[in-house]
Amino acid sequence: MIINVENLHKWFGLLHVLRGIDLTVAPQEVVVIIGRSGSGKSTLLRCLNFLEEPSAGTITIDGQTVSAGLRMHASLRTRAGRQQILALRLKTGMVFQEFNLFPHMTALENILEGLVTVKKIPKEQAVQIGEQCLAKVGLSDKRDEHPIRLSGGQKQRVAIARVLAMEPKVMMFDEPTSALDPELIGEVLDVMLQLAQEGTTMLVVTHEMGFAREVADRIIYIEEGQIVEAGPPKQILSNPEDERTAIFLRTFTRFERGKR
Amino acid sequence: MSVDTVRQPGATAADPGLSMGLELLAAQNRARLIQSAKVGAVWVGLVALLAATLLQLRIDVPYAARYYGYVLQGVTTTLWVSLVSIFFATILALFGALGRLSRNSIAQGVSGLYISVIRGTPLLVQLWLIHLGLPQIGIELIGLGFPRLGKLFILRAVQSGILALSLNYGAYMAEVFRAGIQSVGHGQREAAQAIGMTHWQMLRRVVLPQAIRVSIPDIGNNFIFMLKDSALVSVIGVMEITCRASRLARRDSKCMEMLLVAAAAYWILTNIASWLQSRLENRMARAYRH
Repeated sequence: MIINVENLHKWFGLLHVLRGIDLTVAPQEVVVIIGRSGSGKSTLLRCLNFLEEPSAGTITIDGQTVSAGLRMHASLRTRAGRQQILALRLKTGMVFQEFNLFPHMTALENILEGLVTVKKIPKEQAVQIGEQCLAKVGLSDKRDEHPIRLSGGQKQRVAIARVLAMEPKVMMFDEPTSALDPELIGEVLDVMLQLAQEGTTMLVVTHEMGFAREVADRIIYIEEGQIVEAGPPKQILSNPEDERTAIFLRTFTRFERGKR
Repeated sequence: MSVDTVRQPGATAADPGLSMGLELLAAQNRARLIQSAKVGAVWVGLVALLAATLLQLRIDVPYAARYYGYVLQGVTTTLWVSLVSIFFATILALFGALGRLSRNSIAQGVSGLYISVIRGTPLLVQLWLIHLGLPQIGIELIGLGFPRLGKLFILRAVQSGILALSLNYGAYMAEVFRAGIQSVGHGQREAAQAIGMTHWQMLRRVVLPQAIRVSIPDIGNNFIFMLKDSALVSVIGVMEITCRASRLARRDSKCMEMLLVAAAAYWILTNIASWLQSRLENRMARAYRH
């Protein structure tokens, strides 16, 4: 198992957002997480790379384990604790809903940043890697453009390239197409499909059920901070075992007459 | 609803409405120019009225003509003091801002106290504290057997002036820098963290470059304020514009003449600085255009 999450809890003040999540992900598996807003699906993703510090639980990614909790809170703030979190973050890559590209850098420089500053790779080598990643997402011609000149879909693809360059073990996508105009969603999903076909381990939070049906190995439905049901797309989308899953999925077909 | 009947605002070469659009634009531009010319005429009229009034009251123009050079010699000192002070103030502001945002309690405490005290006391008092108060301590130190340390506290007028202005402006600019730093999007910090940057790497590579860019107009504004505030250092004897003007004014009882010369000198300097700043801002805005 490349990801192992044990008993993950997260409180925001008195709000219990994650209530004891246990999750494992196998290498090369594509897991899609669905749920309502506020269900905790984004928080779950953000706890995996400690963008949010879990309130309790243990996270292991590719052998790197970090425990959280009341007793661990202080130790995570020490130098050693921060090194642990950094090591965890290097195993993962995150693609954000809002792209979060660095606006004062060109597309290529955005990709180089992690390689040169974090991994201390020499510039020429980094440029080669960067250009390969840009080519992979189909944006070689935009290498010297600033993000402000790119469309939403292009920005997201650069963001994906930025993550790819760091060669993480796991790629996480937090609603990658939710901020895009509909006609731009396709180009991003195409890149994600390609990555999945190449065997990338992916954890995707999304509302794109079509993508989930075609690409996911496993779909997980989360409600109120707990995993309600998990299983292959054929089961979850067509024949869910839990009534709550069915109710949630019905909201997607509300305006489709004569369909399921 | 037919799309063909709607005139698109972005005209193409084949658009029959284009010539009308261009005419309207030209007329608007003409009107704007005429308005500016009218305002300019009012300015000229007002200045002429003032000059005429002063001449009637027997203001000594030949005297001003003879001695304006002496006053203008202070321009280099004024510029030097202002430039050096704004430079150090910027550095102090950067540290002040980072200190206020720091998780380190010492950094937060020191910068917070510095900013609070400076912003809560008058610049003139700060100036005198540095130029008159510090030497008092210096002499005590020398008496107690620390000659080299004591000498450090005894500053020349120019040094006191620069130190006071730098400390003062550094505190005010620190708050603006802090806002600039905080204005850098939260999401970008998360992206930087997600690719494994340390706190300092994130500051250095992502946050500060953008925060500084945002703060440059403020530095320019403060330089213009600094040009005017530098007049205060005349009270400790720095021979800049105001000091020279007031000396002659008091010696020969020609206050109106000399101080008007001084005021005119500052007015010209600040206008030049403003113009340079707007050109700089335009240049920077161009780099970010779609």
